[in-house]
Amino acid sequence: MSQLTRNLEVLATSSSWGYQLDGASAAEPAALACLALACHGRHEMARLPAQWLVDIQASDGSVGVNATQSAPAWPTSLAILAWNQFESTSGRNEFSSASEKAIRWSLEARGKTAIQQAHVGHDTMLNGWSWAADTHAWVEPTCMFVMALKASGHMQHERTREAVRLIVDRLLPAGGCNYGNTIVLGQELLPHVQPTGLAMLALAGETSTDPRVQKSLNYLEQQLSEGTSTTSLCYGLLGLAAHARHPKRAASWLEDAAKRLEQLGPSSYKRALLSLAACPELSWLLPTKPSTLSAGAHVS
Amino acid sequence: MSHNEEHQRESKVTRPSRRAVLAAGGVAVAGVAGAQLASWAAERRKTAVFVARNQKYDGPLEKTIHDGLVACGLQQAQFQGKRVLLKPNLVEPTRLIPHMTTHPAVINAAADLFRNWGASVTVGEAPGHVRDTEMALIESGVGEALRDAGVEFADLNYQEVDWRRNRGRLSPLKAIYFPQSVLEADYVISMPKMKTHHWVGLTCSMKNLYGVLPGIKYGWPKNVLHHAGIPQTVVDINATLPRTLAIVDGIDCMEGDGPILGSLKRMGLVCVGESLPAVDATVARIMDLEPSRVSYLGLAAGRFGPIDEPSIEQRGEAWQELVSPFHILDEPHLKKLRATPAGPLVS
Repeated sequence: MSQLTRNLEVLATSSSWGYQLDGASAAEPAALACLALACHGRHEMARLPAQWLVDIQASDGSVGVNATQSAPAWPTSLAILAWNQFESTSGRNEFSSASEKAIRWSLEARGKTAIQQAHVGHDTMLNGWSWAADTHAWVEPTCMFVMALKASGHMQHERTREAVRLIVDRLLPAGGCNYGNTIVLGQELLPHVQPTGLAMLALAGETSTDPRVQKSLNYLEQQLSEGTSTTSLCYGLLGLAAHARHPKRAASWLEDAAKRLEQLGPSSYKRALLSLAACPELSWLLPTKPSTLSAGAHVS
Repeated sequence: MSHNEEHQRESKVTRPSRRAVLAAGGVAVAGVAGAQLASWAAERRKTAVFVARNQKYDGPLEKTIHDGLVACGLQQAQFQGKRVLLKPNLVEPTRLIPHMTTHPAVINAAADLFRNWGASVTVGEAPGHVRDTEMALIESGVGEALRDAGVEFADLNYQEVDWRRNRGRLSPLKAIYFPQSVLEADYVISMPKMKTHHWVGLTCSMKNLYGVLPGIKYGWPKNVLHHAGIPQTVVDINATLPRTLAIVDGIDCMEGDGPILGSLKRMGLVCVGESLPAVDATVARIMDLEPSRVSYLGLAAGRFGPIDEPSIEQRGEAWQELVSPFHILDEPHLKKLRATPAGPLVS
């Protein structure tokens, strides 16, 4: 049995999903665990984290970072992905109500825009999603919500379309992206693998001809290796896979990463990401149901 | 509900912490810090800052730090049985720019010293620009160094959190969330890199403590703090933490477009002190910046510690002999920080 298979077995028997070994459950690891288990056909076990996410969902539809912190609520996006994937793969319509409430909350949430300033390279007027309320939109939360809305059938919603433009705008001229600044005081900033992988995931299925997209994919191919840290490796491979690029050594890199982590006592968060990256299909990115909202619809 | 509203709400609600023991300890140490703050403000006593020159990463750094702490009036007995959290700067590590982050040799030297003094030591960081902390540890070389030395690392971005009333009260934030390792610490020791900063001029021991706040609450970057005011929140965080000390890696430094993309400047310094504003003011003077013009130092002065020269007792090397102007960007908001108007710029 490979380490990745053992990894999935451990994940399937977990009843808590944390960022750290023996840490308390948190929404992001729970959503990723649900996604990974559902992608591998472990529906019964995927149901547990999916239900836990419902349990911590607020009445307004948002999902906070854990059971005690209802804000910020950026994991709402990941909960939507998890519920959709569970329903899609299990054929059970258990979480539609939770998901619809979460989508409505997501479409109302938005980052703060700002008047364009000369020393900042990105378009500060484009709207996406922020990490915390009343702050600027950044790459990673925007990507998470774009993936959630696309998977929920809202690919053509005006919020999704604007957010896709934001993601492309935040790609660095040389390719790749970081947390979301591009050029500051005339200096191009550094790219990083994890946000670049996430951006490429969110841009799956888009027809952008912006050369920075190809440059970003090339950047990921150049950066990934057997020494890449776990979450960066997983997001990097997922981002490449979303654009039909599959490094020949991907499976061995993941297996090596799983073995390394086992020595350190991996968290559910990293187990889930490894399992998700090892999944042969990216079905969780695809729309699982027709949109219940018209394109550009405003929800109250 | 906005984030600020959330903080305001929580400040008004008296509720038992979910982790009662943890919270009780946190309140206690915050009380100590607050009392010290009030004491300093009332007495306006002099505070000591120690500077050592000719330092190298393969040199006897543990002895240097020991000498610095003793010169500043700190004693082994104060740390016996205490929980010490060392907070290096690992904001956005890349092995291409090693002068961006606190060198592992300085971190391990401090860890060795405090362990020898009977403290339990943890190194903790909440990298501000990257969610992948494992990557930050690999790229900075800190992960490998800590494993070799058997020192525990705490990922402050993802720990459980609890809040404390904002004792600085300069920003609109009524409460500040801290991760478990910070709340449990008796001492939080800021271990910054000596660097220029393209927004606030200087980043050293006070600004470095932005990195104890959890990304899971404040984001990547910690944009909640930016919107609440960078200088104000720097002081607020410092004022709300448990007892703090500073040990500055001023050996290989960064000038120009810091804190990420600046150039290497070799200084060979280690600075130590109990008052973070005083340490940062001394470092600013060595860089040829006027401390009172650095926004958060100006706010901290008179509230949290001294920055004026007569109030700082220099131990070790005299700063005047060490001045070596750091390049700063040719920007109006930075040029006005110059102690010497004709100091060097980079475009």
